Amino acid sequence: MKALRVLVGTAGVALMAVGASLLTDVRDPTDVLVWLGGAALLHDLVLAPVVLLVGLVLVRGGSRGPVRGALLVAGALTAVALPVLLRPGRTANPSVLPLDYPRNWLISLVAVATVTALWAAARGFARRRRRPGR
Amino acid sequence: MKLHVSPPAFRGRLHDPRTATSIGRWLGVAFAVCFVTGLISHFMQHPPGWLADDIPSRPVWGYRLTQGLHVASGIAAIPLLLAKLWTVYPRLFAWPPLRSVKHALERLSVGVLVAGAVFELATGLLNTAQWYPWPFSFVPVHYAVAWIVFGALALHVAVKAPEIGAHWSRRSPGTLALPVEDGPDRRSLLAAVGAAVGAVTLTTVGQSFTPLKDFLLFAPRDPDKGPQSLPVNRTAAAAGVGRIADEAYRLVVAGPRSYTLTLDELRALPQHEVELPIACVEGWSKSARWGGVRVVDLLERAGAPAHARVRVVSLQLRGGYRVSEMGHEHARDPLTLLALRLNGEELDPDHGYPARLIAPDRPGVLQTKWVGRLEVTT
Repeated sequence: MKALRVLVGTAGVALMAVGASLLTDVRDPTDVLVWLGGAALLHDLVLAPVVLLVGLVLVRGGSRGPVRGALLVAGALTAVALPVLLRPGRTANPSVLPLDYPRNWLISLVAVATVTALWAAARGFARRRRRPGR
Repeated sequence: MKLHVSPPAFRGRLHDPRTATSIGRWLGVAFAVCFVTGLISHFMQHPPGWLADDIPSRPVWGYRLTQGLHVASGIAAIPLLLAKLWTVYPRLFAWPPLRSVKHALERLSVGVLVAGAVFELATGLLNTAQWYPWPFSFVPVHYAVAWIVFGALALHVAVKAPEIGAHWSRRSPGTLALPVEDGPDRRSLLAAVGAAVGAVTLTTVGQSFTPLKDFLLFAPRDPDKGPQSLPVNRTAAAAGVGRIADEAYRLVVAGPRSYTLTLDELRALPQHEVELPIACVEGWSKSARWGGVRVVDLLERAGAPAHARVRVVSLQLRGGYRVSEMGHEHARDPLTLLALRLNGEELDPDHGYPARLIAPDRPGVLQTKWVGRLEVTT
């Protein structure tokens, strides 16, 4: 087991070295390092604190389960939609980004809210039936 | 006055190794699929010399599947990565920050993993929307950083193996040592993460998995939108060819017995129909019915040897991928056509009028349009 760990770890370092040597062939590797560092900072200093703050408000408000799930799904959908929502400039041709993305984003948020509400209602109904007379 | 800095305290629940293990193994699977399919795509687009003659032309849907999986697994990894990083975020403020050289190296490798993982998913997603806000070239950088991320991931799994093992299942010793009351809350969180993966997949995967195209909300392509209901990357105008006049068109086949054909002569040759997908490196793909002349017939007439490679040269004046190469597997495949027709109609200029290459199991950028020359290169 110990040998396997050492093997996998060594292989990992070797793969990282392959990647680093490929990076040195890129015309200006410092630009890449700036963007790599920027990616980590964007997550650690902006995205994660905002999500934790929302979580804190949620817990203080006494809601976890379905509301947290709905926010998580809506947040993931929004993250994936950001490029098609925000891309500036003209596209190469009309078959690139052909959909009405702001409308689709609203549809997805409404769908998440509806499914969550139905699910919470169904769960409450099931709970009341399980404990009749209360 | 002395400024006293202390690390933030996290009293929230579920920032624990069981949650990290549960999400992390799915994230690991997504990254492994993404890395392997990415390598396949890279080698098919830029085959190294030792591989150039052995790239198979079957299964016909091979590249469609691997590139569809590449983009889908990358998109699925977005909610998984964000949830995983949320779980382990308090560790960023571990105190003291560095305990030993070994600890410092471990934190450095995790830093590289986090930076690289966020970078790869963000640049990949932006690339599918053809949005390039960075100063470097996308393909070589996305490729190089992929090796770094996958290596850092392997190292991370090796370092964390005992902790992963101790929290692998609900009955593992590490899991049992965690507060019991967190169990239902954790299952609720994991269900939500699973729902998020399902939601982002359902709203994008129809761009390559066409049975789900009615659920497309956020894909940068709709497989039905484009000239002749097929998306386009480079238009005839962008390539500087416009609509090529029939009488001006010539196809040159250069080989041991070179010859030139007019468009009428090309149309008079035996025509074949094939059903083949066009699969773009950016992830979208769609199957279509193509009609035209078999490339192998054109090569035989030029006296090409059986193991000859073929260089396909476009009449386009601008843009990359003007020339593509084919090994003998693709060149000799009876499904490989110099296509003149798409779904029963003449090709639209944006699809390569009057003639384009269409071959099975081949990246879209190498399906050369506006073909003016086939060269036998042995």
